[in-house]
Amino acid sequence: MLVMNNITKVFRTETVETHALKQFSLTVNEGDFVAVTGPSGSGKTTFLNIAGLLESFDDGEYTLDGRSVKHLNDKQLSQLRNEKIGFIFQSFNLIPDLNLFDNVDVPLRYRKLSKAERKERIEHSLDVVGLANRMRHLPSQLSGGQQQRVAIARALAGNPLFLLADEPTGNLDSKMADSVMSLLEDINQTGTTIVMVTHDLSQAERAHRHIQVLDGQVTEQQLSKPELATVNA
Amino acid sequence: MSQIGPIFRSLMRNKVGALLIALQVAVTMTIIVNAIHLINARGDLISRSSGLDEDNQFYVTSVGYATDFDAPYVIDTDLDAIRKLPSVTDAVQINAIPMSNGGWSMGLQTKAGEGENSVPTALYMTDEHGLNTLDVELIAGENFKATEVSYRDRNTRDWPQSVLLTEALATSLFPDLSPTEIVGQTVYIQSNEPLTIIGIMDHLQAPWTGWTTINHAMLVPNKFDSPYSRYLVRAKPGQRDEAIAQVEQFMKQRDVGRMVRETETMTQVRMDSYRGDSALQAILWTIIVILCIITALGIVGLVSFSINRRRRQIGTRRALGAQKSDIMSYFLTENILVTSVGIFVGVAGSIALNMWLVSSFNLPRLSYIYLPIAMLTMWVIGILAVWGPALRAAQISPATATRNV
Amino acid sequence: MWLYYTRLAWLSLKRHPLLSLLMSGAIALGIGAAMTTITINYLMSADPIPEKSDRLFYVQLDNWSPNEPYDEPNEPPDQLTYTDATALKAQAPAQLQTAMAQSGGVIEPQGLGKEPFLARLRLTHNDFFSMFNSPFLYGQGWSDSADETGDRSIVLSKSANEEIFAGENSVGRTVRLEGKEFRVVGVLDEWVLKPRFYDVTTGAFNEMEDAYLPFKLKETMELPNSGNTNCWKMPEGEGFKSFLTSECVNFQFWAQLDSTQAKQEYMSFLNAYVEEQKKLGRFPRPLNNRLTDVMGWMEHENVVDDDAEVMMYLSLMFLAVCLLNTIGLLLTKFSFKTGEIALRRAVGATRMQLYQQQFVETVLIGIAGGIGGLILAALGLLGIEYLYGEQVNDLASLNLPLLGIGILLAIISSVLAGAYPTWRTCRIPPASQLKSE
Repeated sequence: MLVMNNITKVFRTETVETHALKQFSLTVNEGDFVAVTGPSGSGKTTFLNIAGLLESFDDGEYTLDGRSVKHLNDKQLSQLRNEKIGFIFQSFNLIPDLNLFDNVDVPLRYRKLSKAERKERIEHSLDVVGLANRMRHLPSQLSGGQQQRVAIARALAGNPLFLLADEPTGNLDSKMADSVMSLLEDINQTGTTIVMVTHDLSQAERAHRHIQVLDGQVTEQQLSKPELATVNA
Repeated sequence: MSQIGPIFRSLMRNKVGALLIALQVAVTMTIIVNAIHLINARGDLISRSSGLDEDNQFYVTSVGYATDFDAPYVIDTDLDAIRKLPSVTDAVQINAIPMSNGGWSMGLQTKAGEGENSVPTALYMTDEHGLNTLDVELIAGENFKATEVSYRDRNTRDWPQSVLLTEALATSLFPDLSPTEIVGQTVYIQSNEPLTIIGIMDHLQAPWTGWTTINHAMLVPNKFDSPYSRYLVRAKPGQRDEAIAQVEQFMKQRDVGRMVRETETMTQVRMDSYRGDSALQAILWTIIVILCIITALGIVGLVSFSINRRRRQIGTRRALGAQKSDIMSYFLTENILVTSVGIFVGVAGSIALNMWLVSSFNLPRLSYIYLPIAMLTMWVIGILAVWGPALRAAQISPATATRNV
Repeated sequence: MWLYYTRLAWLSLKRHPLLSLLMSGAIALGIGAAMTTITINYLMSADPIPEKSDRLFYVQLDNWSPNEPYDEPNEPPDQLTYTDATALKAQAPAQLQTAMAQSGGVIEPQGLGKEPFLARLRLTHNDFFSMFNSPFLYGQGWSDSADETGDRSIVLSKSANEEIFAGENSVGRTVRLEGKEFRVVGVLDEWVLKPRFYDVTTGAFNEMEDAYLPFKLKETMELPNSGNTNCWKMPEGEGFKSFLTSECVNFQFWAQLDSTQAKQEYMSFLNAYVEEQKKLGRFPRPLNNRLTDVMGWMEHENVVDDDAEVMMYLSLMFLAVCLLNTIGLLLTKFSFKTGEIALRRAVGATRMQLYQQQFVETVLIGIAGGIGGLILAALGLLGIEYLYGEQVNDLASLNLPLLGIGILLAIISSVLAGAYPTWRTCRIPPASQLKSE
């Protein structure tokens, strides 16, 4: 479903070339819950940006849902992001002016959906994260954990192929972090693929696969829950 | 000021903000310099002396319509009566009111004959009370005698013998002679008709405020035989309003088949005549003030923006030992650099705009004294505008450096 | 989608009310100043008779002194002599043509408590009324024979008719003017020309006349000159007659010429006429006759005040400062939104969609600024009216097309001001703003 083959990404300044990713290869299958860890500067953020189609790469092949993304233009990339990927960020990135309903609505607005259908999806995904009763609240009226749940609802509302989470618990205390992780696990149980970048090893343990990145390359893969991984392999 | 190097490099990384401020300053300065120049040019026009005792003068218009209306009789008896009123200094019938923009002009020449060089002058017709009523002094020669004054009508073609000229007119005609020497000289009107200059007046303006030779005026000992007649009245000092009331009452009571039109004071005449100029001044002042406020607000906005963006950087500097005054001076220096660029562009813009105004609208050329004044003003506005935001920047806590988000 | 953008824009404007106010305020001030001066210039330069301004021609003949032109460089006088005005009316080949002159006289209304008043008079031919589309309330212009014999016929303006006859249909009644009885043949309806193009020699925006009389009366009643009288040599001989036969100019002349051919024929006539007069010892200068249509004549006579033009250019520069200001403020404002923009990009908005969203916001600011600007312009015009008094009567009012121009100018301004900030904000790479620092 998500296949990266020998992806290379180089950042150039006038004086220095930095290889953020070197011959990076990874395959994620449907239903997987993959954790990506690595020290700071290892290239995990670059991986996330490329996987999320937020950044281009210099060499290699990236196939998403059977489609090579290398030569797509901005509009096609936008459409892919909108339809296939659900983003979850460390700092939530909710729009402060909009209430919960409108925040979850944001990705749906860039699709041709009827008003009724949008409403149904928004209400359903807020229901999944347990915030259906606070639809008219503004983000600032919620706790950090609740805000992240809204962000997850926003990611889910578009019915994406997979969720791409970037340090989803990074800004949360351990109790809230735990509940967000449980929510992600629940979502994964219902069949949604999740790719999560984190530096927290204990959380990485809760994923099915744990990939460690160092110097732009995959150094180690562990199957945390082998029985499931085998089924999906 | 030792920070100029780094400040400049930091500015170059945020060119657009700096450019916007500089451009605003440049255009503002261009407008302000030219506006102040225009204001002063008009001020000079307005402040020219008319030569009159304006505070105490007014005029009334009498229009006879009765078929048996005897103009000379009415005029002479009117003037006699008006001169006797207790609040009146003197009064004359006059063909044109100074500053009213309506009057009569003729050409005078020092040599007789068609095609000779002629000097234009305004022509006022009054009797021997003219000088006293207008409040004009003679600097040489003497006034008309009562016997020299004659009536003319619109078909009269010839002129009385004796005339009085303003000094400005006399020196235009005889540039090499002194006023006393000019008295007694002959000039020619209508090419060939000789006039004798019997006196030189210190100063009297022609009726047209926009005329290039506005100081050329001539007094002719004539009264005008016409049903349409204007009396200029000079009241005793401070008694103008009483005089107006008395003159109006007298004129309206006297039933000779004429109508009396509204009295106008010379103060009103001056106001009407320079109304466009004073209006332009008022409008330009408004524009200047609003413009300064807008530019200042623009600077406040952009500087606040750049401070907001650099909160963390400022906090870090403070944490690393910069004092509040260092932060203040950093932003002040930055702003002075940017406004200075704008100001120098503004100097060029001001001159260019003025050149265009001169060539397209015949406006006067810019006096360069306005440039340093405007430059200073713009610097002060720039510093005042940046003061508040810079003060707030200086208050940013050093702890900002360690804070997340 | 546009509705969605509008809602987003509204929310965004509400979020920074002071900034929004400053931006629309800056645009409003700029538009206010620009519209105030544009209005004055627009109304000053308006075509006073659009339906036929290109078919009405002002006639100039150069009868001036052999030694110097009337005005540099080689301009013919702006008026005609009585001799030429009457000769052209009698002989020139135009269906409609009229000589005219300003004059004045006392009208004595009959009836208790009515004061005599000094009336502004226009001496003209009966073609005047059809050439300049004068609207009649009652009656009509005088007859051709009145033109020839100088009958004491009179056409009153609406306000003069109200003054004298309390607004009744006064056709057939008599008016006492300059001690003579005149028969009213017509009363005009409300008629205001801005500029009063048919005679701008004493100011383009002077008031309309109180009454119109046959031109011939100038001679028979010896009516006084009004307006400008210019002579390059003094009348020869005695009496009023000598003025009428002199080289003094005090008369205007218009001809209606409906085709290029008619115009050419008319011009050849003028040239032939002057050549004929040269044989009589008049017209010492080289042939220099002019036929100028209405707008050309307005241009020639500099009807749009220089001050008004200068103020318009200064106020357009003022608008430029306000726009630079708005660009700065928009940059500030949009910089707060980089997070939102990046998020929207991440969840699949295309650049175009984000441009549109920001565009709607700038247009909203522009509309607010435009409305504010028009209110300020209305105030500005009140101020101008206060400062200039009757000099700008009817020149300081906004009309519908001007309101449209104002709003359009505001929107164009705001979109121009918004272009760079929008472009810069929407250009940010989606990944850059999503990580917290």
